[in-house]
Amino acid sequence: MPAEDHVSPVTKQNADETAATDRFLSLQALTKRYGDTAAVDAVDLDVRKGEFLAMLGPSGCGKTTTLRMIAGLVPTTAGQIVVAGRDLTNVPPYQRDMGLVFQSYALFPHMSVAANVAFGLEMRGMAKADIRARVAEALQLVRLTGYEDRRPGQLSGGQQQRVALARALVIRPLILLLDEPLSNLDAKLREEMRNEIRDIQRRLGTTALFVTHDQDEALTMADRVVVMNKGRIEQTGTPEDLYERPRTAFVAAFVGRTNRFPGTGAGEVVHVGGVTMRCARPVSGPVEVMIRPHRIHLDGAGERRADDNHAAGTIIRTTYAGNVVQYDVQAGDAVFNVEQSTDATGALVSVGTAVTLSWSVANTLVFEAAP
Amino acid sequence: MSAAATAQGPAQSRRGTTFTAATLLLPILLINAIGFMLPVANLAVISVSEIRSSGAMTGGWSIAKWTTVATDPFYWELLANTVRTSLIVTILTLVVSYPIALCLHRMNGAWKSILLVLVISPLLLSSVVRTYGWIAILSDRGLVNSALAALGAQEPFRLMFNLTGVMIGLTEILMPYMILALLAGFGRLDPRVEEAAATLGAPPYRVFWRVVLPLSLPGVALGSLLTFVLAISSFITPKLLGGGRVFLLATEVYDQAIVTLDWPLAATLSIIVLVVFGLALAVYTRILRQIG
Repeated sequence: MPAEDHVSPVTKQNADETAATDRFLSLQALTKRYGDTAAVDAVDLDVRKGEFLAMLGPSGCGKTTTLRMIAGLVPTTAGQIVVAGRDLTNVPPYQRDMGLVFQSYALFPHMSVAANVAFGLEMRGMAKADIRARVAEALQLVRLTGYEDRRPGQLSGGQQQRVALARALVIRPLILLLDEPLSNLDAKLREEMRNEIRDIQRRLGTTALFVTHDQDEALTMADRVVVMNKGRIEQTGTPEDLYERPRTAFVAAFVGRTNRFPGTGAGEVVHVGGVTMRCARPVSGPVEVMIRPHRIHLDGAGERRADDNHAAGTIIRTTYAGNVVQYDVQAGDAVFNVEQSTDATGALVSVGTAVTLSWSVANTLVFEAAP
Repeated sequence: MSAAATAQGPAQSRRGTTFTAATLLLPILLINAIGFMLPVANLAVISVSEIRSSGAMTGGWSIAKWTTVATDPFYWELLANTVRTSLIVTILTLVVSYPIALCLHRMNGAWKSILLVLVISPLLLSSVVRTYGWIAILSDRGLVNSALAALGAQEPFRLMFNLTGVMIGLTEILMPYMILALLAGFGRLDPRVEEAAATLGAPPYRVFWRVVLPLSLPGVALGSLLTFVLAISSFITPKLLGGGRVFLLATEVYDQAIVTLDWPLAATLSIIVLVVFGLALAVYTRILRQIG
C-alpha cells in the first residue's frame, strides 16, 4: 500500500492506460467443464484494444465456447473475463455490451432490416431520432442503404450477414465477437466479406474476436491468431509466427499444408525412412519432421542446390492445379509432396523421372513425437 | 416436328403432374365427401323438414325452426354464452399450456421424450373418465372441498354443476391438444435469435415480449383455433360437470336430438355451430396472414 503512494498520479494513470489498451480483454484461467471433460481448460489470453484476433482450431477445440463465455451466453466454470479493467465474469449478457455475429446470422425474422439494427439501441432507451440516424449510418457502413424495410427472409445470405454485422456494430460494442460468420457463404462471397469485415473493423478501430476453423480466414484477416486444440491454447502469434515458427506439431500441421514424417533424431540430424536430413536444433529419439511442400526445390537427378538437405527420388504422381503443380516424390521409404508454381513456359515433369529434392535447414521443422 | 415435340413436352408433363395430384387427392376427397359433405347436406335438409309434435317427420318442408332460433332470445343468449365460454376456456388453456410447451420446446434428449409422453398420455383416457375424475375432485365432498373443510372452511365452494366446473374440466381436457399445437407452431423459435437479443441488451422479459412471443404467434393461433373448436363442440364435459345447469350449443343439440326428439331444431343448431367454426377459421387465416 505505502509503495503505491509514491507513484505520481500521472505515471499511475499511464500505467492504467497501457493496461487498458494492452490488456483490453483479458481471459484469466478461463475454464468450462461439462461433467468431467473440459471444453475450455484454463485459457489465458490478452487482447489489445483495436486488435483483430482470430481463434483457430478444429471443431470441438473450445474456441466457440470461449467466445460464448465472453458474450455471457455460457456460464464459466472457473477463471475470469476482464474487459477494460472491469470483471465481467458474472455479468449477464444483456449488460456486457458485446456485439455478437452468429454463423446462422440469427436475425429477427419478424422485424424489418431497420428494426433489426435498431433493436440494440432501443434496448438502450435511445431517442427515436437518434436511433434513426445511427441505423442509417450503420446500414451505410455495410452498404445496405435502401434495404431498411425488407425482411431478413427477402435477403441473400451475404446481405443477411451484413445486417447482422450492422446490428452488432451499431451499439458500438466493447468487443465485436464473430462466430464463424462466413461459413454459410459461398466461396466468392466469403472472400468479399473477409475484406469487408476487416476494412470496417479497421475503420472503426473496434476490438474484434473472430472464431474460425478455416486457417486461410485466420491468416488473412487477423493481426494475431490463437490456435486452440482440446480446450487449450497451442500457440498465440502473428500469422507469420504460426506459419514459419510453429511451436508444436499440431500448429505446424493445422496451419498450412505440410509433409509430415515420423523420424528418429540423432543430434542435429534426423533419419526419415532412409533419408537423412539436418535440422536446426539437436533432437534425439522419435520425432516428427515437417516440411512445407512449396519450400522444397525440385531439380534434375544429380543437380544439387546450395541448400543443406537433399534427397534423391522418383516422381510417382503429378497433380496439375493451374497455379501450382504437386508432385509426389518417392525418396527412400518416404513420399515427399512437393509443390511448384507454374509458368507459361514451364513443362511438367513426368512420372518416373529421377529428381533431386533440396530444402534448407530452416524449413526442416522437427517436433518431439507425441507419446 | 421437333419444335412441336418440345412445345408439347412441358404441357404433357404438366398434365401428368395434375393427374398425379388428382390421384393422390382422390382418397381424401372421397372420405370428405362421404364423411362430411353428405352429412352436412343431410343436416341442412333435416333442418328444414316439417315434424309433428311426436317428432315424426311429415315429409313436408318448414322453416319454423330457423325462425324460432332467429327470433327467440334464448338461442341468441345460448350462442353468446357458448362463444364466450369457449373463448374463456381457450384463453385459460393457452395461459397454462404456453409455459409447458415453451419448456418442452427448449428441452432435448430423454427428458423431452418422457415429458412429451406425459403430456400426451391423458389422451389415452376417454374424456368421460377424465370428467368423472374431475367430479371426484370438485364435488361438494370432493378432494378440494374436503381439504378446505379440514382447514376450517364452513361452506363448500360450489365448483361443480356450474360454469366454473365446466371451464376447469374443459381446460384440463384440452391442454394436450393446445400443447401439441403450440409445439408444432414453435418452429421459428431459434435459441440463437434469443441469444442475439440478449447480447444486444435485452433482459429476459424483453427477449420474451419482443422476440419469443412474436415468433411463437403462429403456434398460439393454431392452438387457439384448435382449442376453441374443440371447446365449442364438446358436450360430455359440460353435460356432466354442468349437471344440466349449464346451457351450451353442443349440449342443447344433444338434448334436442336425443331427449326432445326435435331433429330439425338439433340440425339447425348444428349448422349454427358449423358457421361459428367457419368464422373461427376465417379469423385464424386472417391472423396468420398478418403475422406473415
